[in-house]
Amino acid sequence: MQPGKPLWIGIQFHLDEGWHIYWQNAGDSGEPPKVQWELPPGFAVGPIQWPQPVRLGGGSIIDYGYEGEVLLMAPIDGPPRSEAISAPSISAGVKYIVCREICVPGKAHLQLSFPEAGDTSKRRTLFGQARARLPKPAPASWRISAESDKDRFLLSVRTNSKVQRATFLPITPGEIENSALQRFVSTGIGFRLELQKSSQLTKSISILKGLVVLGPDRAFEITAPVVSR
Amino acid sequence: MIKRFGALVVVGLAILMGFSVAWAARVGELAPDFTATDTNGKVHKLSEYRGKFVVLEWTNRGCPYTQKHYNSGNMQRLQREWTGKGVIWLTVISSAPGEQGYVTASQENAYLKESNAAPTAVLLDTTGAVGHLYDAKTTPHMYIIDSQGTLIYNGAIDDRPTTDLGDVNGAKNYVSASLQEATSGKPVSNATTRPYGCSVKYPR
Repeated sequence: MQPGKPLWIGIQFHLDEGWHIYWQNAGDSGEPPKVQWELPPGFAVGPIQWPQPVRLGGGSIIDYGYEGEVLLMAPIDGPPRSEAISAPSISAGVKYIVCREICVPGKAHLQLSFPEAGDTSKRRTLFGQARARLPKPAPASWRISAESDKDRFLLSVRTNSKVQRATFLPITPGEIENSALQRFVSTGIGFRLELQKSSQLTKSISILKGLVVLGPDRAFEITAPVVSR
Repeated sequence: MIKRFGALVVVGLAILMGFSVAWAARVGELAPDFTATDTNGKVHKLSEYRGKFVVLEWTNRGCPYTQKHYNSGNMQRLQREWTGKGVIWLTVISSAPGEQGYVTASQENAYLKESNAAPTAVLLDTTGAVGHLYDAKTTPHMYIIDSQGTLIYNGAIDDRPTTDLGDVNGAKNYVSASLQEATSGKPVSNATTRPYGCSVKYPR
């Protein structure tokens, strides 16, 4: 641990084939893992950085989550002077639900002490791979807007490049119909996506937040101002 | 011959699902009518309950979110309280054969007794037709229909989307709150909420 240097903590899930956990927006069923951190005085943990999820399920029920290996990372702020703590220990109470065709709730109590034993380079690789799966902020050159009519949001993104395909994953639950087909139109300098509103959406919204996915490990986080027409 | 029959079934399903998205039950509109058979072989037609309030409860007893409400006795309590006040409570099982939560009529009747449940009836919706008609997503997923046949509530059972039994106490129960308001002539404050639970195990 070095004072002033960013520190990351991660909760690692190894999921057997066919099983999944959920993204921050679980979609139509399930729920995201919840973490209760216990930290030494002077430490604070930031929000979980959710990697790019995949669409799960089929038919009228679509969820968002992870299969296989996933690391949920969060930044840690320590006290400015490291000598203030000799051997800090951090623990995390994790509650999650893991599903296949069936769902099983679980919980774990994880603990970590510094300095951490084991292979540093392995950990570096693990965090590096997880970082590569994080959505990136949308490039500043993109022009993003959304129009709202009775049943749909029409999302327009000008990327100044040709886009072959794109999907939108909503961060806030209950805004778009997860199972509805997203009609994609390439405009040559970007794209438009037609998103069906969720039947759970009962009031108008002024921003649409989510990920624009252009391919594997190519997810961009966007916030689109919504204009009613 | 078998192949052609299989193709027909697939086409039929696709059309049904297409309709369910377009016509999904919306709060404030007439609740879609259906007929379904219960675990005692009795046929129920929703529109025949006009004049009464009707609750639809999607269930799957293998689902931990459903178990939260049955193992705590919460669901049975609600069923008993509201059927006692003249409300028709229809529990619906849309699990397909081979999927979690699928039960035969006699298995379900035994479970009702064992769990001390008290719905008006349990409907066996093994094709998922009623589930798709209402676009039921989760177990539990709750709907309330008023005495005029209008859908007045669509959503979660309460505001604690977890599997923890301890969360039942202290949760705001949307079904009770909505029925209380509606049966005393008041508009329902939270008429649409996000349902939570396991996915409904429709035929694949």
